[in-house]
Amino acid sequence: MALLKIQEPGGEPVQPLHRLAVGIDLGTTNSLVAASCGFGVETLADSDGNHLLPSVVQYSAAQPPLVGVAAKAQLISDPANTIVSVKRLLGKSLSELKAGNLHLPYEFDPDRPDGSPAILTAGGSKDPLQISADILSELAHRAEDRLKGSLEGVVITVPAYFDDAQRQQTKDAAQLAGLNVLRLLNEPTAAAVAYGLDTQDQGNVVIFDLGGGTFDVSLLSLQKGIFEVLATGGDTSLGGDDFDQALAKWIQEQAPVAEAADASSYWALLQCANDAKHQLSVDASVEVNWRGCSLALSTETFAEITADLITRTINTCRRVLRDASLSVADIDSIVLVGGSTRMPVIRRAVESFFGKPPLTNIDPDKVVAIGAGIQADVLIGNKSIDNSFLLLDVNPLSLGIETMGDLVEKIIPRNTTIPTAKAQEFTTFKDGQTVMSLHVVQGERELVSDCRSLARFELRGIPPMVAGAAKIKVSFQVDADGLLSVSAEESITGKKSEIQVKPSYGLDSAVIEQVLQASREHATADKEIRSLKEAQLEASQLIDAISNAQDVDGDLLTEPESTRLAAAIKQLKTAMTGAASKDIRALTEEVNQLSGDFAARRMDLHIGQALRGESIDKIEQ
Amino acid sequence: MQHINKNYFQLFNLSESFDLELDSLAEKYRQLQAESHPDRFANADEQDKLRAVQLSSYLNGAYATLKSPIKRAGYLLVLNDRDIERVEQDELGMDLLLEQMQLRESLSELPDDESALPALEKIKQEVMTKLAVRQQEFASQFDKGELDEAKKAYHELQFLNKLLVEIEVGEEQRLGY
Repeated sequence: MALLKIQEPGGEPVQPLHRLAVGIDLGTTNSLVAASCGFGVETLADSDGNHLLPSVVQYSAAQPPLVGVAAKAQLISDPANTIVSVKRLLGKSLSELKAGNLHLPYEFDPDRPDGSPAILTAGGSKDPLQISADILSELAHRAEDRLKGSLEGVVITVPAYFDDAQRQQTKDAAQLAGLNVLRLLNEPTAAAVAYGLDTQDQGNVVIFDLGGGTFDVSLLSLQKGIFEVLATGGDTSLGGDDFDQALAKWIQEQAPVAEAADASSYWALLQCANDAKHQLSVDASVEVNWRGCSLALSTETFAEITADLITRTINTCRRVLRDASLSVADIDSIVLVGGSTRMPVIRRAVESFFGKPPLTNIDPDKVVAIGAGIQADVLIGNKSIDNSFLLLDVNPLSLGIETMGDLVEKIIPRNTTIPTAKAQEFTTFKDGQTVMSLHVVQGERELVSDCRSLARFELRGIPPMVAGAAKIKVSFQVDADGLLSVSAEESITGKKSEIQVKPSYGLDSAVIEQVLQASREHATADKEIRSLKEAQLEASQLIDAISNAQDVDGDLLTEPESTRLAAAIKQLKTAMTGAASKDIRALTEEVNQLSGDFAARRMDLHIGQALRGESIDKIEQ
Repeated sequence: MQHINKNYFQLFNLSESFDLELDSLAEKYRQLQAESHPDRFANADEQDKLRAVQLSSYLNGAYATLKSPIKRAGYLLVLNDRDIERVEQDELGMDLLLEQMQLRESLSELPDDESALPALEKIKQEVMTKLAVRQQEFASQFDKGELDEAKKAYHELQFLNKLLVEIEVGEEQRLGY
């Protein structure tokens, strides 16, 4: 929208206030771009009138990559070079994907030094960064074409449940496409903004966002233009794709065909399942035709086939309510987002759980992009403070640091409103230690190996002191994008060290939702493991201390005392190899008791020595 | 890092005491964030942006602390120079220790399946009642300046809160979430 230039005669020309910024929904299955168009924010269509851009890229040797509808049409005939669902690969290493349950029949490049899951295509080895950048470029071109100008900034949406590595990669892909990222916005929050500003509703709103490959639930409080996220939860490996997979499996079981399972037939089967699924959104039952067989599929049967998937979504809703300390009765409305929420099985499950029908009048495909477009307008500076709104979002996963014995110390719990900062003091564990290594992880489990590794960094130059004397203050700062920066300072010397968290490749860590789900299942077991580790650590430290003491002052122990102590220590060592933390603690206590007198004698001896070293004058003073 | 000179209560223009109106706190929080949040400084220079992040972070920390009764109680004690990380021996009376042991025992004796749910709910109600009572006690002890007594009440509140979380986790596990 061009503003009239009102000039004083001979004065400075007034700059137009409207700068070009767009919102982009980079989806697993489809992507969209939206911008302010004078009457509000709308999604932009291509020359054929399509608003949705399939997130599909086809690579060939001689031509530039094909993105969107044309690429999707190549999937069954050229499966090796046509890449779908690249969003599921972001922020992960190849080894992690192989250990997980991803079913993508691509040939992955084994020679990437950073371990990223690059796909070998006719156009070369393409990693998720490059592929995502190609999709983003296509959207940017569409925007610049329609808006007749160059883009100054974009807001890109990410699943609320994306971890730091996935967010960082999304940002990197945008930069690769030459875009200036104003903000990484959580998808459910974006949807809430579009919905909230449209309806002017207030109260507690649940955004239930089921896309092609990811699932998010966010609970927001909407109050007079302020959107406050109270809690969020999700599953970055749960989406429409999984419903297709489940249905495809059922089709194969009902109509087994003895033929080679190659990539082409794989995609053909999935396409068949996908079509049937879409049909079920319109008709109560459909006829599935696969390789000559005709199968009857009803909504009820589909619900049975996908029962596990549906339960997972509802359980996530429960957890989010609990995290926000609210009950179903406190919810004023439920908004469905994402194409997969068109499935009747989902709508029924949501209505049944919340006790009221969800809102479906908002286009579930477009609402996220529109919300992003609205935010883009604010962040580029087009809106004055008076008529804009405010988003208060949260971090979805707890951040912690590795401490001794593979244990995690949580620093910032999940669902903390961002931006947020937290400082924690740590200390050295060895005499004379000058370097401290910190390992930052994301997740809810007790053990580091069960969480997602983010980065390691070192603080150097700690003045050598007795173990436990140094005071190292570590500050965690999560910004409004949900990205973490960490700095550390040793309080006595003021020595600092800082790092921007970078994805850790090559480490086998669990996927986020597995992390969170498993943490629920393992809460008790985790506590026991933690208790055991702590007991083992304490015992080991005590044994070391006594051994060192005996090296110096062994003669302070009588023969029988020494023998008794040795026997108790032997028992303790045996217990340490077992899993009964109670036994370890009991035996540790016993060793403690037996060495108590020894410790007292050492103390007397050393104080006596110290005193004798002083001059008589000083003592008298 | 810029030093923010107000403590959490001063930031919200509240007196340093336990009782506060949650709705009015939420309203003030939203107003303050509307002024401080980094998104309001999209066109500002780097220094202003940094200040916005710091102030907004501090505000979020303040709100989270004052909103939660147990954190608010702990913060009040910290403002009065009490070390809430350390529990002195004499701060846990015999009757409290016994109560703790009894509650823990009754929890551990429950079966792992759904049959335990009614009993769990009963214990949960008991704990929540005790929590409400102890909170009142903390509030009046603190306001009277009886800080040692208030600290004792605080540690009891900590224990009861932890227990409540365990009970809720126990409920979820038995319901299969």
